[in-house]
This record gives sequence, C-alpha cells and structure tokens, in this order.
Amino acid sequence: MKKQMNKVLRQTEFWVFLIIIFLALIIQARSGAFFANNNIVDIMRSMICPSLYAVCALLAFVSTGPDVSFPLVAALSSYLAITISIKINYDGPWFVVYLIGMFFGALMGALNGFIIVKYKFPSLIVTLGTSSLFSGILLGTFEAARMDLPATLQRFAELSLLTVKNEKTGLGSTLPMPFLILVAVYIAAYLVLNYTMVGRGVYAIGGDEISAERAGFNVKKIRFGIFVVNGMIASIAGLCYAVMSMRYLPNEYAGGEMVVIAAIILGGTRMTGGIGTLKGCILGTLLLTMVTNSLILVGISVYWQKVFIGAIIIIGTAIPAIQSIFGKNKGKKVKGGEAA
Amino acid sequence: MENILSVKGIKKSFGGVHALKGVDLTIRKGETHCLAGENGCGKSTIIKVISGFYKPDGGTIKVDGRDYPVMTPADAIKAGVQVIYQDFSIFPNLTVIENLAFNQVLANGKKFVNKKEFRKIAEEAVAKINFNVDMDALVETLPVADKQLIAISRALLDNAKLIIMDEPTTALTKKEVKRLFEIIADLKKNGITILFVSHKLDEVFEISDSITILRSGENVISCPASEMTEEKFAYYMTGRHFDNQELADNKKRTYGEEVLSVENLSAPGFEDISFKLHKGEILGVTGQLGSGRTELSLSLFGLNRPTAGRIMVEGKEAKLTDVSKAEELGIALVPEDRLTEGLFLPQSIIKNITVTRFDALAGRLGFIREDSLVEESAKWVKELGVATKNHEFPVQTLSGGNQQKVVLAKWLANNPKILILNGPTVGVDIGAKYDIHKLLHKLAADGMAIIVVSDDTAEVIATCDSAIVMHDGRITGILEKEDLTEAKLAEAAI
Amino acid sequence: MKKKLKIDDNIFRLIIILVVFLLIAGITKGNSFLKVSIFQTMGRQMAEYGLMAVGCGICMISGGIDLSCVYVANLCGISAALLMQKNENAILPAILLAIVIGAACGAFNGFLISYLRIPPMLATLGSYQLFQGISVVISNGSTVSGAPEKYTDFGMKTVAGIPAAFLVFVLIIIIMSVVMGKTKFGARVFLVGTNAKCATFAGIKNKSIIIKTYMISGIVSGCAGLLSLARINSAKADFGTSYTMQCILIAVLGGVNPNGGFGTIPGIAIAVLILQVLSSYLNTFPDVSNYYRDCIWGIALIGVLILNHVINKKKSDKLAKMGS
Repeated sequence: MKKQMNKVLRQTEFWVFLIIIFLALIIQARSGAFFANNNIVDIMRSMICPSLYAVCALLAFVSTGPDVSFPLVAALSSYLAITISIKINYDGPWFVVYLIGMFFGALMGALNGFIIVKYKFPSLIVTLGTSSLFSGILLGTFEAARMDLPATLQRFAELSLLTVKNEKTGLGSTLPMPFLILVAVYIAAYLVLNYTMVGRGVYAIGGDEISAERAGFNVKKIRFGIFVVNGMIASIAGLCYAVMSMRYLPNEYAGGEMVVIAAIILGGTRMTGGIGTLKGCILGTLLLTMVTNSLILVGISVYWQKVFIGAIIIIGTAIPAIQSIFGKNKGKKVKGGEAA
Repeated sequence: MENILSVKGIKKSFGGVHALKGVDLTIRKGETHCLAGENGCGKSTIIKVISGFYKPDGGTIKVDGRDYPVMTPADAIKAGVQVIYQDFSIFPNLTVIENLAFNQVLANGKKFVNKKEFRKIAEEAVAKINFNVDMDALVETLPVADKQLIAISRALLDNAKLIIMDEPTTALTKKEVKRLFEIIADLKKNGITILFVSHKLDEVFEISDSITILRSGENVISCPASEMTEEKFAYYMTGRHFDNQELADNKKRTYGEEVLSVENLSAPGFEDISFKLHKGEILGVTGQLGSGRTELSLSLFGLNRPTAGRIMVEGKEAKLTDVSKAEELGIALVPEDRLTEGLFLPQSIIKNITVTRFDALAGRLGFIREDSLVEESAKWVKELGVATKNHEFPVQTLSGGNQQKVVLAKWLANNPKILILNGPTVGVDIGAKYDIHKLLHKLAADGMAIIVVSDDTAEVIATCDSAIVMHDGRITGILEKEDLTEAKLAEAAI
Repeated sequence: MKKKLKIDDNIFRLIIILVVFLLIAGITKGNSFLKVSIFQTMGRQMAEYGLMAVGCGICMISGGIDLSCVYVANLCGISAALLMQKNENAILPAILLAIVIGAACGAFNGFLISYLRIPPMLATLGSYQLFQGISVVISNGSTVSGAPEKYTDFGMKTVAGIPAAFLVFVLIIIIMSVVMGKTKFGARVFLVGTNAKCATFAGIKNKSIIIKTYMISGIVSGCAGLLSLARINSAKADFGTSYTMQCILIAVLGGVNPNGGFGTIPGIAIAVLILQVLSSYLNTFPDVSNYYRDCIWGIALIGVLILNHVINKKKSDKLAKMGS
C-alpha cells in the first residue's frame, strides 16, 4: 500500500491535480463564481479543442518529438470537408463530414510521417515546414474565407448535451455535442495506448528506438502511423471548432500549438520522449484553460492573461530544476557537467 | 564434443572496407568462449553475422548441426542464438514486466495487451536466474547491473542455446561482476553456451574455457584458455611485443617540490581524503565503481564542490569553484567518459584540440586567427602521433585510441602542472594503451605531476609510483613503490 | 603559404540559388521586377525579420532556440514608441531603451535556460507569453503610434539609393559574422551547442555563454522592433506572430543545424535574401495571393533539408572510407 502511495506522489500529474484544486478554491473564495454551473460548463467547453490537440502533441512527443502542424492540418482538412459537403449538397449524417475531414487529415499526416520516417529530420522542423505549406495552400490556393456550415453540421451544432443557467447571474452555458467526441477520442486513445501492442510500441519507440527495433516492433510503420493518426485527430478538432463557432473561420486556427505543448509538458510529458499520459494532457490543458477563463472572475483583466500563462509555464517547468538544485546534491552520484 | 556453432570463411565488406576477410569460429557446446581483439578487428561484425543482423558476403554458418545458407534475425532466435548488447536493449521508460515480455509477445504475433499473461512471462524469465526485482518498477530507476540481468533473463526466455554477450562487464562493480560470473557458471551447468566479447585480461582468464583472437578481420589464434598467457595475449591482439617490465623498471624515483596537497577533503561521494603530490610523481587513485574515486577527481577540477577540508596548490589554498579556476592553477582533467565528456564528436580535430587555447591565442577584443589554431593543432597531432589524414576531419572519424590522444592533446596544449586522468585507457586498444602509458612516464620525467584514476590494477602498477586505494568514499590503503602489487591492491580495496 | 578564401559549401549553394532566382525573376518579369523601388522595399522589410532570424539562429547554434524574438521586438518597439510619443527629443533615449529592454529580455531567457535548466523551447515559450502580456498591458491592448517625424523619416531614408534600414541590417550581419566566426566567444557558442557537457569539462563557462547568446538575440530583436516602428510608425503586442516560425525556417534554410553546433551568419543572411526575392517576385503577379509565400517557404525548407541530407551523406560516406 505504501508503495502505491509513493508511486502516486512521485507522479507529476498528481501535483498538477493539487495545483488545480488549489487554484479552483482560491478563485472560488475570491469570486464565489468558480464552481458555478455555467463556469464549469464554460471551462469544459473551452477545453474541447485544446484537449484534442493535446492528444496529437502527446503522441508525437512521446514517440518522436514536437509536432507543430496540427492547427493547420485542422484548418485545412476541415475546410476541405466543409467545402466538399457544400459543393455536393450533402445532407446525410453529420459524421460523414467528419470522415471526409479525417481522410484529408490522414493525407496531411502521412506527408509529415513520410518525410520524418524516411529522412529522420527533427520533427519540429519538418512540421514547421509542412505547417507553412498547408497554410499557403489554405489561404493561397483555396483563398479560404469565412463560410457557413453545411446544413447537416449546422443541425449538429445546434444540438446540445447540456444547458445550464446560473440563477444568480442569469448567465447560461451550453455543452455542445463535440464534448462527446472528445470523450470518445480519449477512450479510444486510452484503449489503444494501453491495451494494444501498437500502442505500447509508441512508448517503446520513444524509450529506445534501437531496442524497439530489436524487440520486433516495426518502428517505421508505427511512427508513420502516429503522424497519420495525428492528422486525423487534428481534423476532428478542426471540425469541432467550426461546429462550436457555428461557422468556419480559417484564420482562427493558427497559433494554438505552443500553448498546447506547454499544457502537455505541465501535465508530465517529457520533452525527451517516452513518458506522458492522457490524464496528464487533460490536467495540463485544464490548468491553462482555467487560467485563461477564470482569471477574469478574480478581477484580473484579460490583458494580464498572457503574463499569467507565461509565468505558470516558467514556474511549472522550473520546478523540477529547482528541486534538483536544492535537494539532490547530497547523493553520492555526482554529475560532472550539466547542459548550459 | 559437439559444436553449437561453426562458422567458416566468413567475409563481409562495407563499401570498400573489408571488415571480415574470411573468419572461422568454432564453439563447443556448453563451453564459455571468449572472443577478443582490438577495436576494428571485426568482433562486433562477426557477432552481427552470427545473429542474422548482417548477411555475409561469403562463408558458411552452422548452428547446432544445421546449415543456414541464409540467416535472418528471426532464424537466429529460433536457432537459440541470443545477443545481449552493451546497451542491453531495454526500454528505460517502461516497466520490468514489459521489458521482459515484449520480445516474446511480438514474436508470437500478439496484437493486444494481456497484463496477466505479461506478468506470467516476466516471472518465468526472472525465475531462471533467481533474480528478485520489483516487476512494476520503471527500468530507468534500476541500477545498471539489474538492467543487465533483465537482458539476460529475457534472453533465456527464448530457450537460448548460445548467449552472446558484448563486453558485459564494462559498467559493473566488482561485486556485480562476481554475481554475473556466478550466473554464467549456472547457465553453463544447464548446458547453455556462452560467447562473450572482452578485452579485460583478468576476466578472460577467469571464466573462459577457450579463446579466439581476431586481428584486422582475420583469425590470429583459437586455443584453450590454459594455453594462453598475458604476454601471448597482448602479442596476438596487436602483433607487437610489449615490455611492461621495462615500463615498471623505468619509473622515476626522485620527485621535485610538492605541487598539490589535499587535506581532509570531503565532498559528495567521499570523505576525509588527504594526500600529497610532487612534481614528477605519478600517483594512482584506485578503487571499484562507487568508491568515490571519480568524485575525487571532479573535486580537484572544480566540478564537485567540497564540503570540508582544503586543497593547496603550490602552497596556496585553492577554491576550485569551477573548471576555469582549476585551469588557471594549471590543473587538467582527462575525463572518464571520452565520448560525452571529452570530445565534440562532430567537430574537427583542430577545434577539439585547441578549445583550451582560445584565451591564450586570442588577441585584443577576443579575435582568434584561424591559422594559429591550425598550427597549434598540427603540432600536437604530430607530437602524440594521432593517426589521421587531415586534422580538419571530425574527431568522430578517429579510433578510440586516437580520440583519447586528442583529449590528451587538448590538455597538454595548456601545459598543465597537474594532469589528472580518469580511466585513461578505457576502450583503447592495447597498442594505444601502451603508447599512452609511455607518454605519461615521459611527462612525469619532464616534471609534470600526474594522477591516474583507474580501476584497472594492471594499469596502476604499470604507470604509478604509488597509489591510494579508496573504498566507499574513504582511503583504505596507501601503497608505495615496492608495495604496489596486485595482491596488496586487491587486499586494500575490500 | 597561399591564403585560400574558403567559402563554406553551404553558403556557396545558397548563393547559387539566390542568383538563379534573381535571374528567373529578372528574365520573366523584366521591367516590373527590376525596379529600384522594389529592391528598396525588399531591403526594408527584409531587415526586420532578417535580424530576428539571426537572433534565433545564434540561439539554435548554441544548442537551444528562441521562440520569443518577435515578442521581444514588439515589446521594444512599443516601449520606444511610448517614450517618443511624448517628446520629439526622446529619440535617442528611446532607441537606447529599446536596446536595453531587448538585452534584459534576452538575459532573462538566458537565465531561465542556464540557471534554472529549463529546456530552451519551453523557457522561450513561457517567456514569450510573458513578454507579450507585458506588451499588452503597457499598450493597453492597442496599437501605439505617433513616433516623431524625424524617426519615421529614417524608415524611408536611403543612402545612394539603398534603404538605411537595409544598411543597418548589413552592418549587424557583418558584426555578427565576425563575432561568431572570428572571436573566441563565437567559437565557444558553437562548442556549447555541440556538446554542453564537454564544453563544461573543457573549461568553457556555459552559463555565461548562454546568457550572452540570448542577450544578443534580444538586442537584435530589439533592433528589428525599432526598424519596424520606423517603417510603419506603429507597434502592436501581437504583430507578426507568424514570423516566429519564419525565423526558424530561415535559420535552418541558411544552414543552421537545429541540433546545435553548426551554422553561419552569412548563410542566414542569404536565406533571408532568397526568401525576400521570392516574396517580392510573387508580388509582381497581381493574381497570385501573398499566401503562396508560405507554401513556397514550406517546400523550400523541406527541399533544402533533403538536399543537405543527401550531400552530407555522400560526404560522410567518403570520410568513413578514408578515415578508418
């Protein structure tokens, strides 16, 4: 039993969880509005897209390295899905639009995967390049502009899982259907990563690629597959965003990648690979979403948001470093020289 | 007696390089066979051919009586051949269970994770060598010796008949080596054959039944261990005769003034160390892994801040807060891990040698002339005999011994008063090893004070005038001159 | 001994690519491209992100990365604008202020990376949010303008037909090339980027080198912000957010190895030239959207990476045969 306790205490996810509770209590104390139903639903709503992106970032970081192309894959694939649906006057079930989007997302992910697997270039640089490429295609070739959603998605967007109204303030909030999609994706990801050999392979490759090869994992196939899956998840996120905004807005996608990466690192994913959990993704995203959404409840103006986010990222990533400066110097093992 | 493995006339080339020129290797069932040779002799290539990793350009492979015109890694495993590489092929970020079970699960084509089944496989594996370990621990948290045992247990799962171990004792303490040898003896009792690659003389003689030595891709000799001697071994490995006795006889006995005095020094890793060092003296610091000898060398170089005691350099107290302070005082350290601590691998030999000379060679405003660097580097390449066609090439193109010479050159260029070397000839061929030892003698004769930190007792005896022995962070013995023998060193180390 | 002028292979390749593009542009678009005014506009725009690319490139050579270049530039631009708004005589102090702020931001980054051991990507990710946040607060979230005429005139000034801004860029390129290529500081930056541990063992003061490196990046970014202010007479907290990726692209295109230890400043400068020529060339086609530039940059980056990969592989294969 003590062993279990120790294990939990050592996990980063546990501490992030505590910080979240702590922050929530503070905000509640100062504003009385944190645990209000509309605020909670607002937070859940705001978390949908970043959490989906977080899965992409997680898969990439654990196995290979940073992937910064997912926002643009999302933008371009959802553009294609929506435009095609409108052109062919599609009026069937909503998920077929998603399937079209996933098809294009998979293609784009395949491009990433192919270059990274064949040439072994750093994934950061490759996805930077493809991100530019996709942006150019979206805004240049297609000259994408704001669009209305096809009827089937419009109907889907108007559905809601849950609607709440805060009696005190009269403010309401709805939890849209994409939340269910988020849950479905996480359940699928959880099952695959923990209960299939391919999923364990993702971690194995990130742990030691050569050992993975020797053990019998098909490293190339798995890595390629990871980027294809990333593309598909990104496209799902892209369509969810359009659905939640009730329109397709091409310029809203770019730029979200860095905060997502910060979120998963705060949630315990290691930059060097091999380690990272889905619950860490959720916790990290929740933390940063809370900061963005709820600071205003405490009277901190929106202007200060970025300062807070920046400070949290810096403090969050500095803690392991400070720990080692103060604590570990007593041990017998001494490292000769640290990086920088 | 049957043979478990018989390969004949194996040829393998890469590009224009002939790694194997027709190598034979015969291993009898149940024996412990050592494969030895200098860097580049072809021993890792022949192992990769036997395990199916490389396809030979010529020759035959017979495992347990069956011919294999083509050998794939899967064939090798089915035939009972298992290789344990130096890096153990483990996943540091996964649990012990997963590390043990994955190979078999993947080989059986399973697609889903069945945690119960994995645990069963894992427990079966560790039972084979009575290895007690926390199954759910992440392998990165385990000590090196345990990682190796995981690799061995995993190998045994597949009904291994022949286990090939590549330099198995490099990162182990003496105790752990002993445990490994006991396991090897156990495996032998169960009829498993072991082929291990090593260049450590004492181990080769301790556990092997037969020895095969390769040089430059060809066989030199295969014989029972009983027919081999230390001198013959060195001769067969390199083709040169070494007179270690000559080295020992030529040791300087008269020193200059005291240049370093360590008084009751304590720091993370060791406690209460005191000794003195004089000009022209070569002092050995020896002890097993974990004795604190590396930490001591780092403290003398500014990389391990002392918590008590003092260091006196040429009579004045020295506060070695960082490496540049140590450098200013004329102290130099050739570090333990050449590849990560001593060399900028992708950079040129020039840059690697001249890095310590930037301040000296720079003019006003910090400008350095390229040709002054080239000149300096050329001088040292010649002086130390670094074998390279062009010192603008990246240092990673050099062999281990030559790389070590570059690391030495880097510090000799600064004309240090005190030269500390930690494991100066690890991973260096016998030829370069001898050259480096001779060089140390010459430097001492010219007045340099030298400290050789090493766990290789033969090396300490060949180079040092006296030695301090450390164990568990403290000095357990000081041996001088005639007392410096293998026996006394071993005694003091425990 | 004859002194050979050694030009890095990579730089040579880039120069060839530049010449080829100029030829194509000149031939196909003749008069509308080869106008002095186009080159002048190019020169001005290029200076800004060229400087940031140099800053980012130097940090990459040191083994890290600087994601905060653009935001440091904005913060410096905003600060200078605010100071100059009130008072026409405050131009010089405003410029100095911008440079000091740039240096301070850089030093902060360097501190996070070297003393707190935060991985550079994360440190500059956090710091850029911080800098952007501070920019928002001091500018009240709006655009700051109203810089005195004397200052904005500089933005349009030319010397013998060459924009002053471009001359500033060239000057800084020359200084940085010399610093990185011919001084002991520069040599040490390359080595820290190659193997920080070995650098420590070799007596290099890593922390000091890293802080100085990021300070340089901060200062050149600050200069970029000043140039931008002079050109468009406005500074915003979220201006040019897409430039960050472009700067990294340019640096890699220019031969900087993303893993550290290798790269040249002239290479970065030529890469900026190439991309600016491409961009302006596209502009001469009125039907072709500006967004195509992104497309081309993406393809160019990956293309150059593959090209370098293939060439380096041939080189190292040759070395392996010779050296062993």
